[in-house]
Amino acid sequence: MKIPTLLLCAVALATAVRSADLPALWADRVKCTVAVEYVTQTELERHPSVSYGTVVDSNGTIILPSAAIDLRISPKQLKDFRVYLPGDPEGTPAEYIGRDAFTGWHFVRAGAAVRDRMVPVTAFAKSGPREAELAEEVWGIGLRNKDEDFTPYILQSHVALVQSLPQRTAIAQQEVAGPGLPVFARDGQFLGLGASSFGQTFLEFSGSDRDGAPIMLVNLEESSAFLTAGEVLPYLGRIPKNEFGRPLAWLGAYGLEPMDREVASFLKLQSQSGAVVSEVLEGSPAEKAGLKAHDIILGVDGKPLPRFKPDRVVIDYVERLIAERAPGDTMVLSVLRGTDRIEISAKLDDEPRLVREADRMYFEKLGFTAREFVYGDAIARHTKATELNGVVAHLVKPNSPADIAGLRPDDWIKEIDGADAGSFTAAVQKLGDIEKDMMRSETVFLVSRGSDTAVLRIKLH
Amino acid sequence: MSGGFERLLDSVVRIDVQEFNFDDGARRIDSSIGSGVILSQDGLILTNAHVAGPKAVEINVTLSNLERVSAKLVGWDHWTDLSLLRLDLNDAKKRGLVFKHAEFGDSEKLYVGETVYAVGTPHGLTRTVTRGIISNNNRYFEDTEGVDGYETGNFNTWLQTDAAINPGNSGGPLVTEDGRIVGITSRAYLGANNLGFAIPSVIAKRVVAGLVQDGSITRSYVGIVLKALQDLEGFYDVATNTGVLIDSVEAGSPAAAAGLQAGDIILAVDGKKVDGRFPEQLPPIQNLIASLPVGSTMAIDCKRGSKDISSTIVTAKLESRMGEEWVSDTWGIAVRKISLAFARENQLLDDTGVLVIGVQRGFPADVAGIARGDIITKINQNPVSSVDVMKGIDAQYSEKPEPTLFEVQRERRVSLVVLKP
Repeated sequence: MKIPTLLLCAVALATAVRSADLPALWADRVKCTVAVEYVTQTELERHPSVSYGTVVDSNGTIILPSAAIDLRISPKQLKDFRVYLPGDPEGTPAEYIGRDAFTGWHFVRAGAAVRDRMVPVTAFAKSGPREAELAEEVWGIGLRNKDEDFTPYILQSHVALVQSLPQRTAIAQQEVAGPGLPVFARDGQFLGLGASSFGQTFLEFSGSDRDGAPIMLVNLEESSAFLTAGEVLPYLGRIPKNEFGRPLAWLGAYGLEPMDREVASFLKLQSQSGAVVSEVLEGSPAEKAGLKAHDIILGVDGKPLPRFKPDRVVIDYVERLIAERAPGDTMVLSVLRGTDRIEISAKLDDEPRLVREADRMYFEKLGFTAREFVYGDAIARHTKATELNGVVAHLVKPNSPADIAGLRPDDWIKEIDGADAGSFTAAVQKLGDIEKDMMRSETVFLVSRGSDTAVLRIKLH
Repeated sequence: MSGGFERLLDSVVRIDVQEFNFDDGARRIDSSIGSGVILSQDGLILTNAHVAGPKAVEINVTLSNLERVSAKLVGWDHWTDLSLLRLDLNDAKKRGLVFKHAEFGDSEKLYVGETVYAVGTPHGLTRTVTRGIISNNNRYFEDTEGVDGYETGNFNTWLQTDAAINPGNSGGPLVTEDGRIVGITSRAYLGANNLGFAIPSVIAKRVVAGLVQDGSITRSYVGIVLKALQDLEGFYDVATNTGVLIDSVEAGSPAAAAGLQAGDIILAVDGKKVDGRFPEQLPPIQNLIASLPVGSTMAIDCKRGSKDISSTIVTAKLESRMGEEWVSDTWGIAVRKISLAFARENQLLDDTGVLVIGVQRGFPADVAGIARGDIITKINQNPVSSVDVMKGIDAQYSEKPEPTLFEVQRERRVSLVVLKP
């Protein structure tokens, strides 16, 4: 019994000596982390969310990971941003700048009042990006919840693996940082940003199932994966010019699917990687350049697509190649069509208006939000994108006249009272008139849902 | 007890069915029990389509004297949920078995509150008689996947009864006190009390005649979904008790070709005034159209807004949404041909391809990542235009297994996979 006790003492001593300066490093670096709170305000409710961010410059600019804000939500509905320094119960108002399509980061700017108490992460990356090494000791920062004033705490681990997914991503042995919070080397140098956590599979046992059923758990507060410094530092300047992150480079090759090894060798492409194009969108640069559905993209700008593990990563790789560019840039695709290899030169365009950019208007009396019908709606409904007509029911208030009549979210309202709904402006005008008319007892919509249409009668009293 | 009722009891049979189940991507056999009634001395038995259909491998009938005789499917009609079987008469004769047959009554003459009896095999309890009344003689419901995934109820209304109807009653007769068949018991609300439904004999008689002749019922299709005009007459400004609303026109259908649109009100078909104010009135109108010979020219008078429109539609043949099914034992995959109706429902470009309805674990299709719900559009670059195309390639593969390239569509994404021996 004596020997194990002795060993334990020895280990504890060694750790103590080596980490003597960590508290000092930690105290400095905590200043580049913040918690960001915002409210998603819909017609019916206000829903607060919290995520973690890293300070990237001396103007109070903060980046949040892509998953921090649901992409389906319109930026117009994001309200009341507040930045909280670690351990600070008060918080300071902040402004949402937008999302960068290439990195996926959301940019937020903290009010002037707290800027001098924040330190940009670049202060700890003076010698430029360095990639984490295998087995290297790393540490990072986590933040507790709001009811604990976002108290910072330290996480420590060792690098277990560095992989291209397609971004260089280090995977540590245990959780090493909150998602969006920085990771440092033992000497304090910036090594990367906490990524979304990977799921881990556990067996769950219950009284009735004694064999255990596998379930996947994802830690939302801490992550063992981090994007390496080379994937972070060069892109900190990509501050969006507007809340939608426009312009957005667009090719219009829809539903890219990876070509796996078996298929590559069947097609005699051996070690080649590729992406199968499911559809080519109407009016898109891809269509104009002559790309066809079922073509297999094998290379971009003369370079063959690299092979990743798993195969699926190649899709993110191609999508990042597009997102990195600007409308007007040319992209040369090497494509396999049947047995022919062809080169296609596409001039990228600015992406058509997205659902989250679409105009919306809530009609209180009818009980639903009409949303502008945009390009993506036409694609989703297999209709001609040139005929952007009518409005989409975006939100239907429970038990409202619209709900009782059977209107459902995503229904496409094509006719109002027997006449074409027309453009968003025209439709909103009509719906507004209907609501204003106190004598009116009903209105009739023709809606399209999936492959069917339905006539709905909305009673107004 | 009337003599007729006694005779009826001797004509009701229990039906044990063994049928293929392709859900696991293999030929598995499911067993089920239903009821039926003998209609003639040449051994015709009427039952439900969901009791015995084309997937049945073995059908055994237990007569009232508890003797068992095998039977074969004569034909089925899932739209009305009816199937017709024929007893193995040679076997019956050889064994000296005798049976009686029942007579149809007139379901049109039933009144609400009239006493009726259901005879059948609930939960396998052979020859059970339950009693109730006609709760409603014109009940409406349609179900797109009501009979094992097939559509039902579009062309008839149903009799509703409070006679106890349980699983296994299906296909048994609903009779009046004189033992005459007024309906074929078909379904009940599970978890509800005494809400049972039967197909009226007036419909059953017609379907039996058709099935005896051709083994199937041919109907006309125009591609419109009707909706009751209830509460909308004012809005559309039509005379009371006139017209039916077109809720939806299927793309590519004869009605679409004729220029009909959702929101149009049909006032007359072939000069005959239609009245679809209430849901119960829809099946007769749909039946009126379906009963036209395929390829007929049908004159439609419509109202669109304030305009009157007349158009003619050339009817096509009504097809089921379920296509041919088949299992490949080599690849471990069960498929169903994509029908035009399925393609329309799912907004597919056309009806090329087969839908994967089952995948056997550990077999080549499963290993390659093919899953239930996928659509196989090409194999070795050949479009899968029919199940036969697939059978041909499967036969080659069985003889000489070689990596085979499948093009698979999932949602709207196309991927390529290789199936290896």
